[in-house]
This record gives sequence, structure tokens and C-alpha cells, in this order.
Amino acid sequence: MSFEPKILGIACNWCTYTGADLAGTTRLQYPQNLRVVRVMCSSRINPSFIFRAFQLGADGVLVGGCHPGDCHYNTGNLYARRRLAVTKKILEFSGMEPGRFRVEWISASEGNKFAEVVTEFTAQIKALGPQTKFKIQPESTLEKI
Amino acid sequence: MSINFKQIEDKLKTEARKMLEEGKVSLVLAYRKGYDENHPLPYVAKCDSDVDHIVFNEFCTANMARYLVRYPRGTKIAIAVKAADSRAVIQLIQEDKVKRADLIILGLPVYGMKNFKTGELIDSKTTCGFYNPVLYDILLGEEVHGQPVVSPYDVLADYEAMDKEARFAFWKKEFDRCIRCYACRKACPMCYCDPCFIDQNKPKWGEKSPESSGNLMYHLTRFHHLAGRCIDCGECSRACPVDIPLYLFHKKVAKECEEMFGQQAGMSIDDKPALVNFRVDDSDKILA
Repeated sequence: MSFEPKILGIACNWCTYTGADLAGTTRLQYPQNLRVVRVMCSSRINPSFIFRAFQLGADGVLVGGCHPGDCHYNTGNLYARRRLAVTKKILEFSGMEPGRFRVEWISASEGNKFAEVVTEFTAQIKALGPQTKFKIQPESTLEKI
Repeated sequence: MSINFKQIEDKLKTEARKMLEEGKVSLVLAYRKGYDENHPLPYVAKCDSDVDHIVFNEFCTANMARYLVRYPRGTKIAIAVKAADSRAVIQLIQEDKVKRADLIILGLPVYGMKNFKTGELIDSKTTCGFYNPVLYDILLGEEVHGQPVVSPYDVLADYEAMDKEARFAFWKKEFDRCIRCYACRKACPMCYCDPCFIDQNKPKWGEKSPESSGNLMYHLTRFHHLAGRCIDCGECSRACPVDIPLYLFHKKVAKECEEMFGQQAGMSIDDKPALVNFRVDDSDKILA
């Protein structure tokens, strides 16, 4: 069986999630590996979410937000941009493949872009293979919970 | 030429006694003798008879800014700071944890500080590359000039050149030794959250027992929380009982923050910490 990655998508309610909706209503095809979580703003994303997702077995994390300047809350994604840039550098220096984490700005009208990004990102994760570095091993106590 | 620690100690005592007698401050944060000369301890002098216990020598590496946040707001405090510690004080003022008006900062311009565990010099390795305090009211001693200026990021070169598999193996080996005593958190002047994220049960961010997964979560998140705030005093790695080189990761994050946001932590009380600030013209390239 070929490797089907698990990808966590964290999407902002106002742009990327609506963009995903548009991709759906326009019947665009994109891989089903993405599990989308909706948050109210990309600045809602605590960097620990990303570390935790990798620990709990995500092979990739895709964060979607409004284009800078288009944030529903005016400045949310500008804070998120700085914060997630640091997250990326930390993942990189700890030895994680930098390609497993990606931030994209996708607006509500960019259904096409959403489908493209997801297709491209899934292919990229497939090429990288399963993520084993951060994943908690089965003998760990966490599995029992 | 080397630093005359005895002279600085005398000046520190004189100033401390004067301020406590005049009632200008209610506390003086400085150092006292530990079980021997080479192991000084952090010390809080509360009255003028306490001042006799104050010492200062090349092993006084502890960052006294750690203790500022323990006292109620409005407490008048005099604090003895070295270069990195003064940046910690500035950072705490930026974050509104202490008020500038409540502090009297006694600057200690020193070099040649030594790690009390190993006795090696710490100047080039775990400090920020400054010798003179950035902010002070009273400077005890002469300003240091003519010391070699070293970039604090030089020690990173070997680790940046590593292949990512090797780097992961390196950090995994280091973090797996962690016994989760939280000494790094206790020693850090910037770690004042109550409760710390790792002590929370709802949500439970990571394992609390000393095993790989929880250690990784704890350390990576702590590096993130200190991004743009770490002032590179190196206390975390000196406090560590199993000698994990935490300062390397902190330095790397500080370096990236400086490159991306063009601002060093704790250099001016008018700055805002990098991650609670933004510029509209921040480049999207930082995310690449």
C-alpha cells in the first residue's frame, strides 16, 4: 500500500476556510489527506499546536490565513507571520525537515489556489515519507490515555 | 589588565549601605558567599547589617534580574547587574513587569567571569558579547574598553553546518538527558509565567515525566516563548544539572529573530518585544 500522509490543516475562518468552501462548491479535486481545523484567526494558532500535531503523528502541517493586510481583525495575521516564522526556524534547527510545515495566505475567493496548495503540499509530504522524528512511539504512556 | 573584583565589591557595599540607610530602596539584589568563595549565591540584602554579607567575584554569574518579578509592584529595589543582566532588566521593563522608576540599577562592568562548575571563562560562549551594562544608574568601576569583541553567534557555526539528521540526533541525545527539574525555568529572568504551560493540565501540552516526547515539547516551546526575549545570559545552561547546552538553541533563535525583525532583545526600554509587535512591511520571505 502506498504511503498516505496525515496532514493537519489549520485554516482561518474568514479567508482560507471560506476558500476551502469555495473549492468544494466549485467541485475542485484535491487530495483527501488534509484534516482541516477551523480557527477564528491565524494568530489564534499557538505554536505548541504545531509541535503537538507532529508529536501525535501528523506528517505535515499546513497553516492558512488571510493575505497580510486583509485580516478580518486587521492585524492578526501580521502577528501570526512573525510568530510562525519563528516556529519554522525552531523546527528547522531541531532537525525537522523544513518542508513539513508551511504557511500560505489564501483568500476567500482563491478556491483554485487552495486546491493547488493542498495538492502540491501533499505531494511534497509524500516525497518526504512518514514523519518519525517527533512522533511519540507506541510504548510511550501517552498511547494509554 | 584584569578586573579588580575586590574594588567593585567595596563600591557595591558602599552604595548598598548608603541606599538602605537613606531608605531609598527596601531591597538590594546582589550576591553572598556560598559554602566557599567559588560558589557565591544570589542574595537579598534587606537592612544595612545584611550588607556585610555581600560579595562579588568572578564566579558571581547568576542573573539577579530573575528575582525582580518576585516582589510586589512598587517595591523599591536596587539591583546589581552585569551586561547581560542589564538587558534582562530592560526586557522586563519593556514587558511592564517592573517599573523603571522603582529600580536603581548598579552596573558592574566586568569580563572574565567564570563558570563556577567548571571554572572555564564564559565570555565568548554563553554571554551576549557585551561587557558594559546597557542601562545603569550608577556604574561601579571603570567602563571596559579594549576587550576583544566577539560575536555571540560564532559558537553556532558548527551546529548550523550539521546535516539535519545529525542535528536531530544531537538534540535528541541532549533532551533525552533532561530530568525535568525545571532549573532552566527557575534560573531564567524571562520565565515568569504562572502557571508555566507545562504545568497546565487543561490543556495538557506535554508529558510531565522525563521522557523523550515531553522533554522535546517542553524545550521547544520554551525556546519559542523566549524568542525575541532571550538576552543570552546563559543562566539556563549553567543551572542545568545535566549540562544540556540550552544556550545554543536560544542563541540560534535570537540570531534568527535579529535577522528577521532587525531588533535585539533588551537593548532599549522604548522597544517592544519582537513577537508582540509587527511591521506591515515584514517580508513573506521569513516564512519560506
